[in-house]
Amino acid sequence: MDRRIFLKVTAVTGTSATLASCGNPEHAIIRFIPEEEHVPGVAEWKPSLCPLCQAGCGVIVRVMEGDAEVVRNGQAGVMRMGLAKKLEGNPAHPISQGKLCGRGQAAIQIAYHPDRITQPLKRTGPRGQGQFQPVTWDAAIAELVAQLDGLVTSNNQRGLAFLKGGGRGQRDDLVSQFLDRFGAPPAVSFDLFNYDVLRRANLLSFGREQLPTFDLARSGYVVSFGADFLGTWNSPVAQHAGYGQMRQGRRGVRGAFVQVEPRMSQTGANADEWVPARPGTEGVLALGLAHVLLSARLRPADAAGRAGALIDGWNAGLTGYTPADVEKQTGVAAARIERMARALVEQPPGVAMIGGAPLAQTNGLFAALAVNALNALLGNVGQPGGVSFMPQIPATVTPRRSSPPERRTLQAVTAAILAADPSPVQVLLVDSTNPVFASPSGWRTREALLKVPFIASFGSFIDETSVLSDLILPDHAFLESWVEGRPESGAAVPVATLAPPALRPLHQTRATPDVLLQVASRLNKPLDFPWQTFDEMLMAAFATLPAPSADTDAWTAAQQQGGWWGAADAAGQTRPGGPAAQAEPAGRTTQAGGTNQGGRPDAAPVRALEAQFDGEPAAYPFHFLPYASHAFLDGSLAHLPWLQELPDAMTTAMWSSWAEINPQTASKLGIAEGDVLEITSTQGSLRTPALLSPGIAPDVIAMPVGQGHETFTRYASGRGQNPIKILASAAEPETGALAWAATRVRVTRIGPPNGDLILFAGEMREHPHEHEHER
Amino acid sequence: MAHRWGMAVDLDRCTGCEACVTACRAENNIPTVGPDQAAAGRAMHWIRVERYWEGDFPDARLTFRPVLCQQCDAAPCEPVCPTYASHHTEEGLNAQVYNRCIGTRYCANACPYNVRFFNFFNPQWDRPLQLQLNPDVSVREVGVMEKCTFCVQRINAAEIQATADEKPQKDGDLKTACAQSCPATALVFGDLNDPESAVSRLSRSPRGSQLLGDLGTQPKITYLARQSQT
Amino acid sequence: MSRASRARILRTLVGCTLLLAVAGTSACRPANNRASMASVYTPARETVGEAVNDFFGIRPRVTQPFPFPHSTHVAKKVACTDYCHESVTKGPVAGLPSVKTCMICHESIATDRPLIQQITDLSKRGVDLSWQRVYGYSAQAHVRFNHAPHLRAKVECSTCHGRIDQQTVAERNVDMKMGYCVDCHKAKGASNECLTCHF
Repeated sequence: MDRRIFLKVTAVTGTSATLASCGNPEHAIIRFIPEEEHVPGVAEWKPSLCPLCQAGCGVIVRVMEGDAEVVRNGQAGVMRMGLAKKLEGNPAHPISQGKLCGRGQAAIQIAYHPDRITQPLKRTGPRGQGQFQPVTWDAAIAELVAQLDGLVTSNNQRGLAFLKGGGRGQRDDLVSQFLDRFGAPPAVSFDLFNYDVLRRANLLSFGREQLPTFDLARSGYVVSFGADFLGTWNSPVAQHAGYGQMRQGRRGVRGAFVQVEPRMSQTGANADEWVPARPGTEGVLALGLAHVLLSARLRPADAAGRAGALIDGWNAGLTGYTPADVEKQTGVAAARIERMARALVEQPPGVAMIGGAPLAQTNGLFAALAVNALNALLGNVGQPGGVSFMPQIPATVTPRRSSPPERRTLQAVTAAILAADPSPVQVLLVDSTNPVFASPSGWRTREALLKVPFIASFGSFIDETSVLSDLILPDHAFLESWVEGRPESGAAVPVATLAPPALRPLHQTRATPDVLLQVASRLNKPLDFPWQTFDEMLMAAFATLPAPSADTDAWTAAQQQGGWWGAADAAGQTRPGGPAAQAEPAGRTTQAGGTNQGGRPDAAPVRALEAQFDGEPAAYPFHFLPYASHAFLDGSLAHLPWLQELPDAMTTAMWSSWAEINPQTASKLGIAEGDVLEITSTQGSLRTPALLSPGIAPDVIAMPVGQGHETFTRYASGRGQNPIKILASAAEPETGALAWAATRVRVTRIGPPNGDLILFAGEMREHPHEHEHER
Repeated sequence: MAHRWGMAVDLDRCTGCEACVTACRAENNIPTVGPDQAAAGRAMHWIRVERYWEGDFPDARLTFRPVLCQQCDAAPCEPVCPTYASHHTEEGLNAQVYNRCIGTRYCANACPYNVRFFNFFNPQWDRPLQLQLNPDVSVREVGVMEKCTFCVQRINAAEIQATADEKPQKDGDLKTACAQSCPATALVFGDLNDPESAVSRLSRSPRGSQLLGDLGTQPKITYLARQSQT
Repeated sequence: MSRASRARILRTLVGCTLLLAVAGTSACRPANNRASMASVYTPARETVGEAVNDFFGIRPRVTQPFPFPHSTHVAKKVACTDYCHESVTKGPVAGLPSVKTCMICHESIATDRPLIQQITDLSKRGVDLSWQRVYGYSAQAHVRFNHAPHLRAKVECSTCHGRIDQQTVAERNVDMKMGYCVDCHKAKGASNECLTCHF
């Protein structure tokens, strides 16, 4: 009886026949005494923090009592405990404002994932084979301590490297301090879709090395250059709240919105106008808009201040950027450019934003500076309806490092490991990042990591990177941990999110910050931290913040409401763009952007750079545009079954990879929907089903990032294709950020549909295979 | 006065983000069926975001529309049910009573909105994912039909709470999971019998219309059209 | 009808008959006392016997892990809602007490009794009693019962649970079929809409 027939039989009787268990003596299960009391059947809401992206939405967790299988003191049993049932946005939190995106809501599955690492593991087989055996925490920590002591003995403290995701908070400060005290170089952070270029541009233009906050609720005309601000970019939940207001929240005013991008994103689908400009020409288009404003004398050039002065030819009126010139480069009609520029001033406040692919070009920094200059020219910086920078928590929360941070990219580190023998990195610690999956093949990340003698990782899952570890020290799920974060955008007031554990740990895991502190204290030469545990560190940091009222202190209040945030201003305005959020207006900032912070001398005007693409147009006729998946972002969420089965907004695809292609291009190449394509770059090729979309330029092939995992739980492993693997290693030269949109490809049809593309929409057939059979 | 629960969906606010889809799954114990069953058209989403493409490149345009049970006042699903599993409540909800359902699937065939989902198999959760299940909502078994309930567990709980507190319910206190989660506030849930409720006001909008309203199903969900820039 | 689907129906019918034949011989363990270490959670009954029992409404007798004397406690003026089932007034679930609750009183009361010493010992080892539910509904009944509003409506505990105050271990005194609920709802003017209880 095969599985299918078996299921059908049991389906009819409503029975899963585990006959073998009948007649067995009663299974004796141990029931542990509950560690805390809950009112059964009644929900309690506890604050926490969504860990999935840098937006840092405060959440509330619906906790109800239930029976869970747990291990206590080495014994398995059942215990009544508080269990998380649902995540919602924290209504008091200035960023999430009671809302939460679909990804954030699915984060609850991290805690209950069947493939979570439940106890420390030590490698037994060859590297990368995934053979591990459980060890005790004492043994695991002792092993890591021995490795670090070894570095001290050989006076090679700089042989320790720490690789992490791009977080901002006390946890990251703890890592920095650990490395600083140990004598190791600063942590290397790696995120495929990072914001390095944008932060650098904002530092240069406005003196704020920070993500921008948009006051969409009061905007009149928004031009977005590739920023998926209603999907995956910056602070999507806060931006959604503003967007809803912008469209229908004001009597008689409906804000307009134009999206500039060659492949219509979910955000672009909402735009009033979709402008498929040529990839890599976004900066030119922004300057084209500025040219119209300058030449029509709608705004004076010096209004843009320093942000304008950074652009070569700005004060001369950007003579090379007439609508006709810009049309030639961007493919956007001159009349349209003219109209958009005028709308920016005629439907005030006008604002521009840039994110995603335009910044992932070799000229990404130029594009960002051009958009910054346009905003400065429009005079919307720090103004209602414009762009602003969220005030940050006073620096006392962040103890200053003894030396200025040196920046190292992962690419530089892997190159150094591969170049030298023995490897300059002897001990590598990995936390919350998966570069083996998310870096291009040209970086040879896996090869480099295999050269490192000892790797320990902290994550909750075995992925392509942690499978290479010698030791795995599994972290608590975020719901089981103290969580803290300092978001850099999305609100008008400073925010430090904080919450105690919402749940008791389900498994034999330990919070990574606590493990680091334990390791620090057990070294032969202990690193003198003033705290035993992470919550002591948090308490010390929050003690420096002003108390919200006379009868409580910041630490206590923050635990109750899920964080500390500055007061709203007198008008009760807590939305972005209120006076509290005003950044230094452009042109008046002089102190920042100097050599030591920006790594770039002041005031050297930037020339327009043409974007460089990997691959000759003749051999590789298409631009290849990978994009952050709506469900999985950079692939770090592909292990959550709710997100695998979430129909993609644009295509309704589930559990799949696909490549989007313009229907006219497809018909020229003889490609039909679902056909298997081979996509080839100079770096390699992959095969994936075709999805015909009218929302993509004829010379662009787009593919969502996220699938194609080799090792990442039962739900993601071996599913779909990973487009990162065929990306060239091109970089934005100033920041070294990967230019992930700078690869060209060719496309060949390989064969008819193979069933890999699963769509929710379309035919509602019940038995597709049988229908095929009857034909 | 009895309540009459309804919803307004502002398509000018909806961005297709699908926060509602996950919220519904979390709240209502909706199982994932896995890739094989999903390929066979058996994925379950009590609320889904439909998309409508118009035009060709470069003038392509796409509109999102969240579609859930329209809670029709003249519901085609109800008269076809031989066991009264699908029936109309006094508050106007299209109820689906699982323990009456014998799985004829007539209701799903009759429904013009394709919002009813049949359990072809017993749902499964890989342990310990089942610890997330909402104890306030049934886990449905093989052979029964299921669909959006307007979060009746929340409606009932609010009613019980209001009786206990001896206070009438306030508009906006009670939200379905989808409306609660909607970051752009495109979904608004409330009492249509209260003329001052947000949902009543929105339902009177000149932009409002009902999905397939000309079929005479009398849906209690009003869609407010997306506006365009002129 | 296609040949394939006819074959499918035939297969399932045969399978059905076979399973029902097996079912008659295999009624076994009570439903709520299993070590559920299976890797998958599903609403399916674990055994055919359970399915058959559910179908005919047969409830297996439960064996409690400890001979708790309800009568003694009630006689000593401990009200049901004092400690052991205190959440009954707060929400849907009456709750079953943990050993911790026993120890609130028995830290100092009747500490010389062997049974109390057993409890004290459990408490010291951090082990709880696995109380078996006496009432409750099968999952397929899809009933969401909420105690608190019934108490507010002045329904006595004994209306549904009988004279537990005269019993030692709790037994199922009242056969709670749907008619039992419906009759009372009718008499009290409470809603008999299906969705009141089934959702």
